[in-house]
Amino acid sequence: MTTPKPTGPPDGGWGWVVAAAGFAVNGLSYGVLRSLGLAFPDFAEYFDRNAQETAWVSALALAVQQAASPVGSALSTRWGARPVVMVGGILTSLGFVFSAFAHSLLHLYLGLGVLAGSGWALVFAPALGTVSRYFSRRRVLAVGLALTGNGASSLLLAPALQLLLDNFGWRGSLLLLGAVTLHLTPCGALLRPLALPGDPLALPRSPLAALGLGLFRHRAFLVLTLGTALVGVGYFIPYVHLAPHALDRGLGGYGAVLVVAAAAVGDIGARLLCGWLADQGWVPLPRLLTVFGALTGLGLLAVGLVPVVGNEDSWGGPLLAAAGVYGLSAGSYAPLIFCVLPELVGIGNVVQATGLVMMLLSLGGLLGPPLSGFLRDETGDFTASFLTCGSFVLSGSFVYLGLPKALPSCRPASRPGTPPPEMGELLPVPQIALLSPGDPHSTLDTTC
Amino acid sequence: MRALQGLRGPRAPSLPLLLLCFLAAVRRSLEDGLSTAAPFTSLPVQEEMMTEYSNLSLESHNLSVTAAPITSLPVKEEMMTKAAPITSLPVQEEMRTKAVPIISLPVQEEMTTKYSNLSLESHSISMTAMPMKENNKGNQICVDRGIMLQRNVTLVERPNMPVEKNITLERPSNVELTCQFTPSGNLNSVNVTWKKGDKLLEDNYLVNTTGSILYTQYRVAIINSKQMGSYSCFFGEKKQQRGTFNLKVPEINGKNKPLITYVGDTVVLICKCQDCLPLNWTWYSGNGSVQVPIGIPVNDKYVISGKHANETKLKITQLSEDDQGTYWCHAIFELGESEGHVELVVLSYLVPLKAFCAIAAEVVLLVAIILLFEMYTQKKKKPSDDGKEIEQGEQLKLDDSNGIENSGPRHRKNESVGQ
Repeated sequence: MTTPKPTGPPDGGWGWVVAAAGFAVNGLSYGVLRSLGLAFPDFAEYFDRNAQETAWVSALALAVQQAASPVGSALSTRWGARPVVMVGGILTSLGFVFSAFAHSLLHLYLGLGVLAGSGWALVFAPALGTVSRYFSRRRVLAVGLALTGNGASSLLLAPALQLLLDNFGWRGSLLLLGAVTLHLTPCGALLRPLALPGDPLALPRSPLAALGLGLFRHRAFLVLTLGTALVGVGYFIPYVHLAPHALDRGLGGYGAVLVVAAAAVGDIGARLLCGWLADQGWVPLPRLLTVFGALTGLGLLAVGLVPVVGNEDSWGGPLLAAAGVYGLSAGSYAPLIFCVLPELVGIGNVVQATGLVMMLLSLGGLLGPPLSGFLRDETGDFTASFLTCGSFVLSGSFVYLGLPKALPSCRPASRPGTPPPEMGELLPVPQIALLSPGDPHSTLDTTC
Repeated sequence: MRALQGLRGPRAPSLPLLLLCFLAAVRRSLEDGLSTAAPFTSLPVQEEMMTEYSNLSLESHNLSVTAAPITSLPVKEEMMTKAAPITSLPVQEEMRTKAVPIISLPVQEEMTTKYSNLSLESHSISMTAMPMKENNKGNQICVDRGIMLQRNVTLVERPNMPVEKNITLERPSNVELTCQFTPSGNLNSVNVTWKKGDKLLEDNYLVNTTGSILYTQYRVAIINSKQMGSYSCFFGEKKQQRGTFNLKVPEINGKNKPLITYVGDTVVLICKCQDCLPLNWTWYSGNGSVQVPIGIPVNDKYVISGKHANETKLKITQLSEDDQGTYWCHAIFELGESEGHVELVVLSYLVPLKAFCAIAAEVVLLVAIILLFEMYTQKKKKPSDDGKEIEQGEQLKLDDSNGIENSGPRHRKNESVGQ
């Protein structure tokens, strides 16, 4: 009797539904978090606190979400992504409902920051990991598509939230946002479990093993985490400081808006474009990651070194170009960092690895903006800040050169069109016992 | 490059706010451009006179009304001021503490010594009227002795439209209002009058000429609210030119958007004004046109407080739907009263709760549909399969369920396969 074996990633079909679910998950987590700032003036006025204390609400939510990501991926390794994301949706919604009845800023910290942040931690890594699992040839495109969710969502949510605030006040708006974020649960329901050849045989015995800390034993993953931690320090700074930098350089209000828009449009477009490009297989993903990481660093350096604009009404050409370059590179980097994981750790460990990568990015995200602000206060403008964050990103990209296949090898390149390596072939030691005949060997493909 | 203070740390300033500030600054400079009537220097004589008022704030206001002859065409403010090297006239607003009264003013000196404990304030407005024929109103064609000359001129004000200036006064002060006028014809044929509202003012003003420009200055000591209002200078030539000073108490800002609160909640209504120091604040709630004072008698529901003198806060606890409506804050100055308003909307929790329940029900429905659809498609696959597919279907179903015990058989099956 022929034995049924799990087939490879479907690369389409239900995968596109999963990618759409990933798009929605991204939008309902990061998108909502970004737009939440609209309600801060109302919070500040009601609780009689200043802007900085209310800004801590979203900073706390972001920190909890990213730091607790490994917990989400560990739980989904144990029980599958679907139930974890569904529970995460309920948790996030509860957080919003709880904070709608807040009587002090502390309640908001707990409700939005801790509860909703934990809920988001449970949804992001499992959902993104599942998207990776459903694709192989079109993985980068699908992940890039899913990652455009937060940009699209904040475009929609920002005016919608303003409308809610005008009609229902901040309490009603938080309550209704709770209902909106409850849609994370149907998105989780869409994440049908998939059995893939590379899946680990035994479920992890202990919670620590479930966290995937064992992955750190592998040199390739270690290199990736080190590089990502460095890149993370500089990557998020433009989110916070690009607009003030544009104003500092002499642009008017609209000029600064244009600069931010150039970066945002470049970012979103590049996620899709790079996704398509990377899937063609012409260049190995680690090499693309290094290249785009380096370009992001160079873009940041350029943004920092742009000269002062003489006239306030000018377009700010050099800054606009530098911001566009940064946006394109950063947008290309985003899906790549998640899509290089199957090559390094095997498709079975993707969810855990995603959680760990998120945690590392968050470490950088916590360090970067305050460092940048401190440098700006010390030196008087943002040049030092952008130069520093650009050099962090460049050094992280330099570390990526240590990834397998990052440097051009002496062997002829594999034919384009072959499925991307996803069985962890790049691991030095075969981690996973491969069952079916015909799977490619584990090979270590480095420079000759 | 603009110097931006206050940019500290990772907080990004809100761009719309910056844009508004930028626009306000531009508008202000435009306004001030009008008021740079003349580059005066303060003469030593005037310094002596100033010592009398040394404890006072000086407010002198200038209005320049020009019906210029065509040849000089002082259409733009700068042109007009250059044509008139005035040496003894009240100046720009910036020179607030340096009063520049007209030198020949012994009469007015005596008058103001009575109120020498009050501040002296000088304000200046500049206005320009175009010398045009009726059929050329609004366009930019000038006629000189029958020859049509078309020039690119920038009209600062339209002809025969009154030029106004709003002056904010908080406490009693001496006020000096000056109008400048450049007539097209003979200086002496111009008839100068001052009016408060519609009432003609008989004295307290002076007329002087320097070169081809006519000046008139009106001084008054504003000590009570009856003296606030509109003061106008009129120059009667072929057409009557008019400049108006509106004396007002400072404006109060409440809130433009309604405040939305819920039953049982607490709310704080805030009224504030920019740089003012009112004597007292009072709150009223308005039902239609009737205003009912709040806080009298003092009870727990309403608490009036205010950290600084330029703001007032009304805290209302235990809100109910009856508390909905408009609330008025009155600021009482020596020279009158000013008010602002805040609108309060009190909603019941049922309003958003109904929407929440509707959306939650929709979510539950979605989840049910998704899971049922999945079970349905799997069941559909089952009957048409052979044994192999059934096993795969079972495997998928096992994947669906959560729990460790189900993974046992799966792994056993796989291991047997792998051998």
